[in-house]
Amino acid sequence: MASDNLPSEFDVVILGTGLTESIIASACSRVGQKVLHIDRRNYYSSKWAGFNFNSLLSWIEEYKSQQGSQSTEDEAEWRKTLEDGEEVLPLSADDSFITNLEVSCYASLEAEEEVKENEEATETLSPAAPSPTEPEEETKGKGEGESSPDVTQETTTSGETQHTQEDGGCGVQEEGASQDAGQSEEIEQKEQQEDTTAGPPSSAKEVKKKKITYADLVKEGRRFNIDLVSKLIYSRGSLVDLLIQSKVSRYTEFKIVTRILTYRQGRVEQVPCSRADVFASKQLTMVEKRMLMKFLTFCLDFEQHPEEYQEVSDQPFWEFLQTKKLTENLQHFVLHSIAMVTKETCTEDGLKATQHFLRCLGRYGNTPFLFPLYGLGEIPQCFCRMSAVFGGIYCLRHSVQCLVVDKETNGCKAVIDTQGQRISCSHFVVEDSFVRQRWKNTEEGHISRAVLITDRSVLPADSDQQISLLTAPPLEPGGPAVHVVELCSSSMTCMPGTFLVHLTCSSKGTAREDLESLIAQMFYVPPSPGEELAEGDERSGRPTVMWAMYFNMLDISRMDGSNGFDLPSNVHVCTGPDVNLGCDYSVKLAEKIFRQLLPEEEFCPPAPDPEDIIYEGVAPQGEGSGFEENPKTEGSPLQSEADGLENHPESEKEAAEVEAPIQETPKEALKEDASPSEE
Amino acid sequence: MAGGSVTECKEYLFKVLVIGELGVGKTSIIKRYVHQLFSQHYRATIGVDFALKVINWDSKTLVRLQLWDIAGQERFGNMTRVYYKEAVGAFVVFDVTRGSTFEAVAKWKHDLDSKVKLANGSPIPSVLLANKCDQKKDSSNNASLMDNFCKETGFLGWFETSAKENINVDEAARSLVEHILQNDKGLPYEESNGDRVRLEQDPATAESKSGCC
Ligand SMILES: Cc1cc2nc3c(=O)[nH]c(=O)nc-3n(C[C@H](O)[C@H](O)[C@H](O)COP(=O)(O)OP(=O)(O)OC[C@H]3O[C@@H](n4cnc5c(N)ncnc54)[C@H](O)[C@@H]3O)c2cc1C
Ligand SMILES: Nc1nc2c(ncn2[C@@H]2O[C@H](COP(=O)(O)OP(=O)(O)OP(=O)(O)O)[C@@H](O)[C@H]2O)c(=O)[nH]1
Ligand SMILES: [Mg+2]
Repeated sequence: MASDNLPSEFDVVILGTGLTESIIASACSRVGQKVLHIDRRNYYSSKWAGFNFNSLLSWIEEYKSQQGSQSTEDEAEWRKTLEDGEEVLPLSADDSFITNLEVSCYASLEAEEEVKENEEATETLSPAAPSPTEPEEETKGKGEGESSPDVTQETTTSGETQHTQEDGGCGVQEEGASQDAGQSEEIEQKEQQEDTTAGPPSSAKEVKKKKITYADLVKEGRRFNIDLVSKLIYSRGSLVDLLIQSKVSRYTEFKIVTRILTYRQGRVEQVPCSRADVFASKQLTMVEKRMLMKFLTFCLDFEQHPEEYQEVSDQPFWEFLQTKKLTENLQHFVLHSIAMVTKETCTEDGLKATQHFLRCLGRYGNTPFLFPLYGLGEIPQCFCRMSAVFGGIYCLRHSVQCLVVDKETNGCKAVIDTQGQRISCSHFVVEDSFVRQRWKNTEEGHISRAVLITDRSVLPADSDQQISLLTAPPLEPGGPAVHVVELCSSSMTCMPGTFLVHLTCSSKGTAREDLESLIAQMFYVPPSPGEELAEGDERSGRPTVMWAMYFNMLDISRMDGSNGFDLPSNVHVCTGPDVNLGCDYSVKLAEKIFRQLLPEEEFCPPAPDPEDIIYEGVAPQGEGSGFEENPKTEGSPLQSEADGLENHPESEKEAAEVEAPIQETPKEALKEDASPSEE
Repeated sequence: MAGGSVTECKEYLFKVLVIGELGVGKTSIIKRYVHQLFSQHYRATIGVDFALKVINWDSKTLVRLQLWDIAGQERFGNMTRVYYKEAVGAFVVFDVTRGSTFEAVAKWKHDLDSKVKLANGSPIPSVLLANKCDQKKDSSNNASLMDNFCKETGFLGWFETSAKENINVDEAARSLVEHILQNDKGLPYEESNGDRVRLEQDPATAESKSGCC
């Protein structure tokens, strides 16, 4: 809160709080470097940021108002601090990385009052004012009460607003605020109901479901966490390893991705990938089950069987699959949903991808993937917190306008921040969008993204709390394959009763051009807000889109770190995120840059565990509280702290609540003897 | 728990934030409460982001209180969401010998309420601590003013504390925990977050990484 001046000397100055920059910040602070970590925006995570619905609308507004406006910095005081032999290298004032942003609202814009009246009618059916922690019976009773009156509350107010917005959202923010608390409780109730009743499938409930309006989305806006970047985390990937090893994992929890889906011939199907799935699958015949098990078992240790693939290892994987006695159905599953590669990928890479997928299975759950609670935008912040705990200094709404470069050595000696303060540093680490004009070549790619808020899952199941990954193969040859991640409310990224759907692909055109037709096939996109489907329409089973956003994101991950830039050698550029599903690119880049910065130092060693410091009641003072005055300063205070903690008895450690992952190694999951006996 | 004849002990884990201006005594209060320690001058304490206090609340209730200090380094900008995430209570601390730290209380409280809410949307319970009361010069008692201030700003209440003399620190904590428990009735930690995953090194990984498979 206090706004002191920043100190003027650091070892490392880092601009941008995306994943790569944040990992570097925590790695450097952890080994005792003095780190200044700043971001031009007023939020953490840069390109990786996640916003609640209302801040996303403001972010969109801001994005639009910034289009075209250029701030011109005055020649200023700081010039006087320049010495002989120093020159100035300006950074981009425009660091935008988003293009073609479009927002559309399809949820009903119906006036509040009508909804409220209706609610009050149902409200009277439930006895006391419900509290969120009420026992189950109450909520059930309420659910039934709801069923009676309100099917026809949908009125046509759609005429009053254009649904495709140039001004971001539908401008109902004020309306949202004027609503009373009744509705929020109602939603609370639904959440409970959904959580507790695992039983009846959605169909019965759907009839009772109250229509969610745009005002509801705004009112419950804080329940959304909408990420700009959509990725999943491989349970045996480099990010999981890093989180565990560094103990940054203490700052966050995850949900397991529960289903892998595929989209084929207009149908969404679940892909069986674990042994249990394969045998439970209703789509596969017995023969197919055997074939698939045999093939997957081979993939798990394919290196042991060179005779099976070596001759064709650089031929397309797709052709290889066709020689493998797999039905077309299975070939499709393996290529698109398990290996998740294209038809052109070579056999060896395809096998490796399949193997990686299989190895990740069963570590934490039935699919290879995890998703962070509250969204991916949490992850960079976890690393920032770790950096701050180890002395990193944080400052948002603060940027660097230029670098001070020594002409002779071509090294960056200092940066000039946006306040005109000169801050010296030995290394400068920067997010790629600030140095766009320093590219040596202009090979730039883009990622096409769409974000949808929908009213039901693309594949309803017994429990609607599913997190699904769907890989949609190109609709036409040469088109992009699309990753679709569907999140439910228990992932803490959307309000109960809604789903948040992220679509991602490599750009061929604008995001809308790339993704609109797939969306039109898989979802119902109302022609005007709130418009419902006619009875018996072929689209009637599909999720309805309530709100949609399209944008393209710059992707220069192919530039490969700093090599593609014309910059001093101690300036390190964090490119990415890339278009791939996992986070591995950004994690590996962080480690690579860290090794360039501090080749001698360990990368993210474990932080001492605060849980190890437990004092019960009035405990006598002794060793290693971690807080006491430690006369050993300067030298390596970190190490001495850590050592003290490690000496603590194991028994205390065990007191910490640890949820052990489901232990089932992939090998066991796919044992040879996997005869279909358990059916 | 079924068939457990002896104790049916409920265990809670509560994350509590300790915020306030520079040097008001946040870390001292935590140290006093958790470690029964006080010191006039501190060396930099680095690498510790929360302290854990285990309270045997009553014969059936065990409370594990995580007290999250702000990293002094976050003072220039916003704290990360990680800091606020899933907190269920807070202490806002000011220094009775420095008026400016009291003036900042409302700002901290506002920041707190804008960043974290309980699941039902209401602000998290918070208690105001008027620290360093051992150094208070004028004994002018403006208790009613403080009461009013708490009402207006949304604090449960306030305590004059001294980390140095160990005045009211336990009392303040008890009052906050009591409130949190009321909010939280029937939702022990384990049960409410059943299907969430924490990442931990699993022994099998360590082995399988090195070889065979
Ligand atoms: C969770 C956490 C808790 C911490 N708690 C303490 C603590 O209780 N006491 C402590 O000394 N350090 C604490 N630190 C470390 C502290 O923030 C500084 O890193 C440390 O004091 C070194 O200060 P500095 O002058 O090198 O740098 P900086 O952190 O850059 O200090 C910036 C300015 O603030 C002043 N300053 C820093 N800390 C204090 C303080 N506690 N009181 C008054 N002025 C201060 C410095 O003198 C300097 O003028 C904590 C760090 C973390 C992450
Ligand atoms: N007399 C007196 N001094 C106190 C008391 N509490 C803290 N102090 C002193 O106040 C100074 C600052 O205390 P800290 O606990 O470091 O304060 P802090 O809020 O953690 O400070 P930052 O982390 O820098 O924001 C130290 O010198 C303490 O000894 C108290 O109750 N009485
Ligand atoms: Mg402190």
